[in-house]
Formats: sequence, structure tokens, C-alpha cells
Amino acid sequence: MSAAKTHDEPAPPSGIDQAAEEPDTSIAAVVGAQAIELVGMGLEIASVFIRTLYYCFRGRPDFGAVVRQMFEIGNRSVVFLTVVMGFIGMILVLQGGLQVKRILPEFSMVGASYLELLVRDLAATISALMLATRVGAGIAAEIGSMVVTEQVDALRMCAADPIDYLIKPRFLASLVMTICLVIWAAGVAMLTGMLTAYIMFDVNPRTFFNLHLVDTGDLVVGLAKCLAYGAAIPVVAGHSGLTTHGGSEGVGWATTRAVVNASLAVIVLDLILSALGYVLLGP
Amino acid sequence: MPPKKAPSAASPPPSDVGLLEEIGGGFLGAAATVGGMGMLGYQILRRLVTFRIDRAETLRNLYRMGVKSIPIVIVTALFTGAIMVIQAAPLVVRLGAQGLLGWGAGFGILREIAPLLTALMINGRVGANNTAELGTMVVTEQIDALRVLAIDPIAFLIAPRFVAMVTTLFLSTIFADTLALFGAAYGGLGLLGVEPKTFYNGLTSGLLGLNDVTSGLIKSIVFGIVIALSSCQYGLGVKGGAPGVGRAVNATVVASAAGIFVLDYFVSFTLD
Repeated sequence: MSAAKTHDEPAPPSGIDQAAEEPDTSIAAVVGAQAIELVGMGLEIASVFIRTLYYCFRGRPDFGAVVRQMFEIGNRSVVFLTVVMGFIGMILVLQGGLQVKRILPEFSMVGASYLELLVRDLAATISALMLATRVGAGIAAEIGSMVVTEQVDALRMCAADPIDYLIKPRFLASLVMTICLVIWAAGVAMLTGMLTAYIMFDVNPRTFFNLHLVDTGDLVVGLAKCLAYGAAIPVVAGHSGLTTHGGSEGVGWATTRAVVNASLAVIVLDLILSALGYVLLGP
Repeated sequence: MPPKKAPSAASPPPSDVGLLEEIGGGFLGAAATVGGMGMLGYQILRRLVTFRIDRAETLRNLYRMGVKSIPIVIVTALFTGAIMVIQAAPLVVRLGAQGLLGWGAGFGILREIAPLLTALMINGRVGANNTAELGTMVVTEQIDALRVLAIDPIAFLIAPRFVAMVTTLFLSTIFADTLALFGAAYGGLGLLGVEPKTFYNGLTSGLLGLNDVTSGLIKSIVFGIVIALSSCQYGLGVKGGAPGVGRAVNATVVASAAGIFVLDYFVSFTLD
């Protein structure tokens, strides 16, 4: 790389795209344009989702592709997810313990509340945010590269819908693997949380592993979240990949958009499902 | 057998390496990446100490990374605040203590959730974008062109991005803290019927201190450094056209996310 180069700052050649920043009009126009763009994108994503569902029932069955994608989405995410969820378990129990310590120095309920929180929300949501990052970026980068190198156009020329060939296998694979991965992630987070509670706050693992706060409602909400995230991530990322344009910069943009949109989708779905679960199934 | 017997007919093809080799290779790769990030950090630091940093480029990056990320930060923070209230609800309903809601949600938001989720969203938007941009520059040989013109690419491209990213994340976290508390207060009103005034009293009743806020803000600086270093490192290491850029973006978001969680634990652990 560059060693010590002695020079004063030269005039930067950055004036090229400074003028290309958007023309700033009134706030209403900017917000309105953003809103219209958002609604348009939502409709496009919905259309991709509906077509994916249609092809799941009517398209050509391709188990090989689904299994390959399951490997790609599932097995290759295990190490990443294990590391992240292991640390999340430690962080949450540490923070929860510190929080409890301020009002009552009694840690017997930390385990029960932590497990409830994990089952109804955090295992699914944090794993899904990580999968949105890893799987979403992967799907968008792969499909985006195919679009840029005109392989998707070649598919269309062969009268094959790219949604049937590319998105459906990822959708089915993600649906199955998200549930498996979330269950694994929840196990890892429980284990590291238990160890942290034992080491930091001297909570007996037997006391910690207290499942009496976890009821059917929590489990239903948690699994519903798994399904919703598993469906949303490949559809949102696939949409970003398919709308790629421009060369390698376009692929980068598509990947960025996939990560942001998939993460936002996870957060929005989380709020919707949490609120629904709270209203329908009680606290 | 000579120790350096590079690919011959006897050595297995690289496609079916053993498990041990795969694990070792993974660790070596991770170590090389972290080492590269450290070297890059040192180089950036040397430019920053001597003020060899391009001011116009810094301002431009602050605008592109900071101002343009505001909508995402707003949406994320408002939704997260509301989610935190729903998750704290069972506690409040069970204990019948509405005054605890502000404390329960506020503690989680300020110390953990707001810095973490803001960092994840900024990682997705700014980090990935930065890698893509630098990667495209590498692929189209623009970095080499800069070197040919005797412009130091670290001082001109990398250091401004580093400064802009760390600043962006720090300011966004302050912004997100506020908005998430706002979302939590009104989420509590809508879902649990807890008045925002009660929520505010719970926040300021003395159970939460300034060190809860600073702990979150210190985290945001650490996360900003991680995101900036990893996205620049992966962006500069791109090889092989458009698919290479896609792979690099994928690798950088994964590496930064893992780094964020790992360092989050250690920062929480050392600060408490």
C-alpha cells in the first residue's frame, strides 16, 4: 500500500458529481416523492411475493435447486449465527442482570423472563436481522450479478420466469431453514445466557432454566415470526436483485438495498406481529 | 517429503479439503482480515494525526452517509421503541407497576437496543454502500489512477470515509435514542394505556443515570470504527468484476455484523 508519501493535499478531482446531488425542492415534494417511491416498491415486492406463491403451487418442481439453496442459506449461516447469538445471549443476560440489580438484588426471575423474551421475540428477530444481512446480501449479489451479465434475460428468452427459477427455490429453502436456524439460535443463546448468569450473578442453571413463563401464546408468536421473516427476506432481497441495473456498481447498490429493505421488513413485521400477539393472545 | 510441496498430483484438490483444514483456513482468513483492518486503521490514524485528510471529500461523505441515512434511522428507532414497550409489557402487567415501564424500556433502549440496531442499519446502508463504491473503484482501476497522480488514496478516499462513518453513527445514535424513547412513550400510550407523562417519570426517577446514555454512545463509536474499517478493508480487497463486488459487499456486512455483536459484549462487560 502507500508508504509515506510527502505531498500536500492536491486539489481534489471531486467536483464531478457534486452538482449531481438531487435538486432540493420543498419538503413536501421530497417527502411526497419518497412516499410514492415507497408505495411503488411495496407493490412491486407484493407482486413478486404473489408470483412466488403461485409458482410454489403451479411451477415446475425442482427439488435439487431447493436443497442446494437450503445448504447455501442454512448450513453456511450456522457458524455466523452461532457466534452472533452466543454473544447476544451473554449481552442480554448481563444487561438484564445489571438492570435487575438496581431495583432488587434477587436473580431468580432473570432466567424465566429471559427465556420468555427469547422465545417470543429475540431469538427470531435477532436471527432474522442477521439472516437479512447474510442471506439477503447473498441473494441480491447473486441475482444481481446474473442480471448484470444478462443471464436473467437469457432465462426470459427461454420463456422461463426468473421468479420460478431463481426466487422460488430460495423462498422455499429460506422458509424451512429460517425455522431450523432460529431454533438452533435460541438453543445457543439459552446456553450462553445460562453460563453468563452462572458466572456473573451466581444463578444456579436449574433456577435459570425456568420455563413456566413460556406459554403456548409465546411459542405461537415466535413461530409466526419465523415464518414471516423466512418468507420476507428472500422475496425482498430477490426483488432488489432482479431490479439491478448498471455494472458492478449496480450490484453493490442492489446488495445495499437488499440488506436495508430486508432489515426494515423484519423490524416492521416484528412490530406488527408483536402487537397482534399482544392484542390477541394477551401479555 | 519436502515441506513445501505445492499443488502436485498427490495433494488433494482444494475442493474437498478436510474439516480441520477448513477450520484452520477459516481462522487464518479471519486473522488476515483483522490484521489488515488493524494496518488500515494505523494508516488512517497516521493521516488523521497529521491532518492529511481531504476536507471536501469528508463533507461530501458526511452528507451522503449521514443526512441520507436519516429516514432509515427514524423508521428503525420509532419501531424499535414500540417493540421494546411490547416486550416490556408482560413485566409491567404482571407486577402492576406502570411507573416501571419507562425505566424498563428506557434501560434497554439507551444501553443496548438503540446503538445496536442503528449500527446494524447503518452497516447495511452505509457500510455495504461504501464497500460497493470502493470495490467499483478498485475494479475500474480508479485507485491505481489516484496513485499515478501521486494522490494518497488513504488520505483522499479512506480517511474521510472513516471520519464520516464514525461521526454519522455517533450522531445517529443520539438521534435514535431520542426517537426510540418517543416511539416507546407513544407505543405505551397506544397499547398499554400508559400516559407519556408516567413514562417520562419512570425514565427520570433516578434509576437511570447519565452513564447509561454514555455507555450506549461509547458503543456507537466502537461500532462505527468496526464498520468503517471492515467496509474499507473489504472494498479495497475486491477482485474480479461485478460478481467480486457483490461477494465483497456480502462479506463486509457479515463481518461487520459479527464484529458489532462480539465487541458489544466486551464493551458492555468492561463498562458496567
